[in-house]
Amino acid sequence: MASKLNTIGLRVGSIVALLLLWWAASKLMNDAEVLPGPLAIASTILKDLHTPGPEGESPYFDIGITLARIFVTFFASMIAGTGIGLAMGLNRLCERSLLALIPLMLTMPTILMVFVAIMWFGYSEAGALVAVMAVVTPLVAVNMYEGTRAMDKSLIDMAVTFKAGRYLLLRNVYIPQLMPYIFSAFRYAFGQTWKIVALAETFGLKFGIGYMFFFWFQQFDITQTLAWIMMFVFLMLVLEHGVFARLESRAFAWRSSSLARGRA
Amino acid sequence: MAAVEAGLRQPRHRLHRDNNRQAWKMSAYRVHNVQRIDTIPVISGAPMSHGGTGSAITIDNLTKTFPAPGSGKEFVVIQDVSLTVDEGKFVSLVGPSGCGKSTLLNVIAGIESYDSGSVTIHPKAGRTGAEPRIAYVFQSPRLLNWLTVENNIHFVLEAQKVPRQRWRELVAKKLEMVGLAGQERNYPLNLSGGMQQRVAIARALAIEPDILLMDEPFSHLDAITARKMRFDLMEILASAKPTILFVTHDLAEAVFLSDNIYMMSTKPARIFKRVAIDIARPRKPEDETILDLEKTLVRDFFSVVEAND
Repeated sequence: MASKLNTIGLRVGSIVALLLLWWAASKLMNDAEVLPGPLAIASTILKDLHTPGPEGESPYFDIGITLARIFVTFFASMIAGTGIGLAMGLNRLCERSLLALIPLMLTMPTILMVFVAIMWFGYSEAGALVAVMAVVTPLVAVNMYEGTRAMDKSLIDMAVTFKAGRYLLLRNVYIPQLMPYIFSAFRYAFGQTWKIVALAETFGLKFGIGYMFFFWFQQFDITQTLAWIMMFVFLMLVLEHGVFARLESRAFAWRSSSLARGRA
Repeated sequence: MAAVEAGLRQPRHRLHRDNNRQAWKMSAYRVHNVQRIDTIPVISGAPMSHGGTGSAITIDNLTKTFPAPGSGKEFVVIQDVSLTVDEGKFVSLVGPSGCGKSTLLNVIAGIESYDSGSVTIHPKAGRTGAEPRIAYVFQSPRLLNWLTVENNIHFVLEAQKVPRQRWRELVAKKLEMVGLAGQERNYPLNLSGGMQQRVAIARALAIEPDILLMDEPFSHLDAITARKMRFDLMEILASAKPTILFVTHDLAEAVFLSDNIYMMSTKPARIFKRVAIDIARPRKPEDETILDLEKTLVRDFFSVVEAND
């Protein structure tokens, strides 16, 4: 318990230290055109949340559409990647044929993928989807494939001697062993997804946080630009640590399970 | 890929009914490696050598080879092994480590293939029609750590299609037997090694097996725990009464537990002696007759093994 408090203290402490550093730097520079302080940014964010965007849209519409794009593309590539990864791990033909393709996909620079997708699909939602899927799907697939390779054969043997069927084997032997890989793929894929969506919004899409960021960038307004970046970062932090971390600790309850939890 | 490949391409033996003899035979086929599976059924129709109506497992002239890595030659793991395990008996296979005795157990369990000979499994008298139930207790517990103790047992009950309404009773009864009543909702990682192995034994007994295979189940435990477990196993078996094939390298353990011992030599595995242990139960490990027999067998053992080297 004490050590848990310590880690929380350290985390909060380091964030506070960073904010203080930022504040001190902005004071030293004393030029709001170059580096506005954290308080100025915070008040800009609060103000922006009540101000319609350049097309008269609500700022919540911009935030919402970014989140929607992230979730749709994220789940699409998670599903595709998991399917491909499992197929590679469990089927030799898939493994042989796809193993050569994966490094090819992984070496493709993300930013170029965004440009190519925009050239193919124009400034449309399909462009964002293709860009994300092209980058994230192979990442997820590789992770899941590694997961299948790390499975404990002795447990599979055990299940087979007791004549466990395909479904039982999948549910109780394969999937639980893949869980750590599913989660790490989940987190990594999520991080990649929002970066690509932000990029696609900045360069090509109408509406969204990236669009707002680019709008203010064109006006050369550093305060507004930083405000939208911070909004974005804050949202993603909440999602990663608030949602995913919670899901993860629930899925792995059996690892740290105390007697009390076991009996609950 | 090796682990998963091999895991998913298990050489599954198909048990098929031999109506004339009311028994289940496994079809044998060779597996050279995981990529190439040739199915060459080589069931020998040879009658059982020593088995009567009361035998549970009959193995006739079983031979298994592995391809030796690199050379393309075959490496014989098990050579011409024949043995019979009578129903309700405790039979041990004793041999040095790496002599192929675990492989033999895996063949019987249906997770490894063999090249020639035959393996026949007879269901318990009175349980006609159904496929014989085989349970396995491994060297390590091999529990599913993400499932509670109770759900680990449910897993095999579901696999064996035991009706759901019997689960609660079976779990309670078997956990009680192994001395773990009340641990139903606990997770395996909260238990000691000995307790985990007890769960594995309860899991095996829960399916009410016709045949219980045990592969050095106490070898990973400390001496005191292992001794206690052996006593408890004797007590459990007095009521559960499955047929047991027990693999060990520990002669003292084999003499203490078994009705019959098959002694195996190494490279390749061959049976060189069958010993009947006619010592009344309950037994004590320090009993004079047990110690004497153990000494004699150890002497036999080394004379054969050393002659082989």
